[in-house]
Amino acid sequence: MKLSPEERWDLIDRISRETVSFGAYRHTLKDAIGELTIKPMTGIPIAIAVMYGFWSVFGSFAGFFTDGFFVRLFDAYWLPWLQEVFPGQGRFLYTIMVDAGGIDSGEFVLSSNCLESFGVLTSGLFVAIGIVLPAILIFYLTLALLEDIGYMPRLAVLIDTMLHKIGLHGYAIVPTILSLGCNVPGVAATRILETKKQRFIMMTLLAIFIPCGAQIGIMQDVVPDLMGWILLYLIIGYFIFGYILNKVIPGMAPEFLIDVPPYRRPMLSNIGKKVFGRVKGFFVVAIPFVMLGCAIVGVLYQFGVIRFLGDLLAPIFVGWFGVPAETAGPLIAAFLRKDLAVAQLSVIEMTKYQMITSVVLVSIYFPCVATFAMMLKEGWKELIGALAVLAVTVFAYGGLIHLIGILLGVA
Amino acid sequence: MEKELAMMDYDEQGTITEIEKDLRTRVAGMGIRVGKKLRMVTKQPIKGPVDVIVDGAETSLGLDMAEKITVDVV
Amino acid sequence: MKILLMGHPNVGKSVFFNRLTGANVTESNYPGTTVDYTKGWMKIEGEDVELIDVPGTFSLDPKDRAEEVAVAMLHESKDVRVISVIDASKIERGLYLAMEILEEGYPLVIALNMRDVAEDKNIVIDAGKLEWILGVPVVSTVAIAGEGIKELVSRIREAKPVDVADITANTASTADAAAGTAGGEV
Repeated sequence: MKLSPEERWDLIDRISRETVSFGAYRHTLKDAIGELTIKPMTGIPIAIAVMYGFWSVFGSFAGFFTDGFFVRLFDAYWLPWLQEVFPGQGRFLYTIMVDAGGIDSGEFVLSSNCLESFGVLTSGLFVAIGIVLPAILIFYLTLALLEDIGYMPRLAVLIDTMLHKIGLHGYAIVPTILSLGCNVPGVAATRILETKKQRFIMMTLLAIFIPCGAQIGIMQDVVPDLMGWILLYLIIGYFIFGYILNKVIPGMAPEFLIDVPPYRRPMLSNIGKKVFGRVKGFFVVAIPFVMLGCAIVGVLYQFGVIRFLGDLLAPIFVGWFGVPAETAGPLIAAFLRKDLAVAQLSVIEMTKYQMITSVVLVSIYFPCVATFAMMLKEGWKELIGALAVLAVTVFAYGGLIHLIGILLGVA
Repeated sequence: MEKELAMMDYDEQGTITEIEKDLRTRVAGMGIRVGKKLRMVTKQPIKGPVDVIVDGAETSLGLDMAEKITVDVV
Repeated sequence: MKILLMGHPNVGKSVFFNRLTGANVTESNYPGTTVDYTKGWMKIEGEDVELIDVPGTFSLDPKDRAEEVAVAMLHESKDVRVISVIDASKIERGLYLAMEILEEGYPLVIALNMRDVAEDKNIVIDAGKLEWILGVPVVSTVAIAGEGIKELVSRIREAKPVDVADITANTASTADAAAGTAGGEV
């Protein structure tokens, strides 16, 4: 026998009257903190402080381990050792696995660091372990802490108004933040959104505008002083294209309705488990892709494919986006490895504006293959739709940034 | 005095007297129903969601929903 | 036989899951979605039984993808028993979901979790009486501390479907009894 909600509640009220006694409720400190963090007057400044704190912890921890430890380990010991012991310098396998080297005044010279060598065992391993591992670890650790304390729903409530403008609602902050670690769990987290329309908007925005931990880690490492600008452009793009998508795509954007659980003491074992699971998940997915991507990019360079495509597409890059012709190679390689592409870009001589534009372009175009596979799970129609949006976005937004540059007189 | 949940002031309390039919099932699972005491904790600016406590459980609902709930304020 | 752990988000379902299952735990995507759930094995009287940690849901009227999956997992499982995990400090809305599951005829056990939190809030629940009214096992637990887990396991076999009419009748009779004693004292 099925009851209507009213009948069901009537019955529960009767049961409750017979079995439960509610004593006087005392307000606790936890309740007080709960209210402070959700009332806009206090909650919004606290939210900004929390996000800033998150970013600071991320930056200093990742920087500490990457610059203070892994850079030295890889550049001073690992790279020279491999260059020494790996047989067949200058040959195909050596070039792919260890060091592509460079030409200096007509002579072949070995690279001096792991960001320029482009070998699977050097750059590939360095990016995966030296840059991505510390970044992803501290990111997921901080996030797990915020989640387990119970802060995320409050952040969702505070940001709901803004996200409503782009057809989403407050809870969309969860997939967005998760994607800053890796887009794959980010796409998975879109499940908390109600409608197909919302999930489509969210996934598309994640794939385009949210750089993952690997990218952020490497940007932080090679272009730290431009981070602010790059992130600003990405956030603005997220909202502009979200707004447009919301207007263009048919469908409902239902109202926000969430449970706000009380704060609680985080359980260490739970956090450990969560962080371990996510870091492991990321590595199972990321390491093979970094290595394989590195190898494929190396092979394509060797056979001149990237140079060919670069020459072919250079006019578009130069004319439409206003970046130097030399960026064509890395921008094409970025289809496979965004992180390595950023590293390649960082060594090209160009203006601040051009650097910002090219890094933003790398971030927004083409999601990584793993994200791609994840989006396919939601349906191939959605995936094709997302790709169409992506193509339009890259051109429109790249052009817009160029236009802004021209107006500001920097392009 | 009866008023819409959306119109309630901070910290005001009251008893829910009516929930529009299309909303009833949606909020039922969260424990929000006619006859229950409710406290309006806060609402977010620029048509943001309204935060309420019912039976010791805190729920945040969009303003459109809060307009469909009537409360007898004490 | 399969056992589903169901309840609202944040009621400690996964703590139960971790305590009940051993090492052989798998996480998988529900087919055709990005929603994942965890599956493991638990021992009941020496027999290995599959235990599934269903995504949290507030009711069987799903409002998002995760809730859709939760409801689908319940509906498609055959020979299934449900452990309904309820936050004792929010018992009424917890019972709402439990009632929905009972109404659909699934055998149920109720775990009244977070008893300690409820006690802090001066909420006292007569679990025995609740069990009598509902006609299904009701076990008080504090899952993070491991309290009540053994009893819960030992009573899973007692889970059975109940007729809602019986529950209604039971509430009427306890109410009468209460009224009777009250009348007697006057």
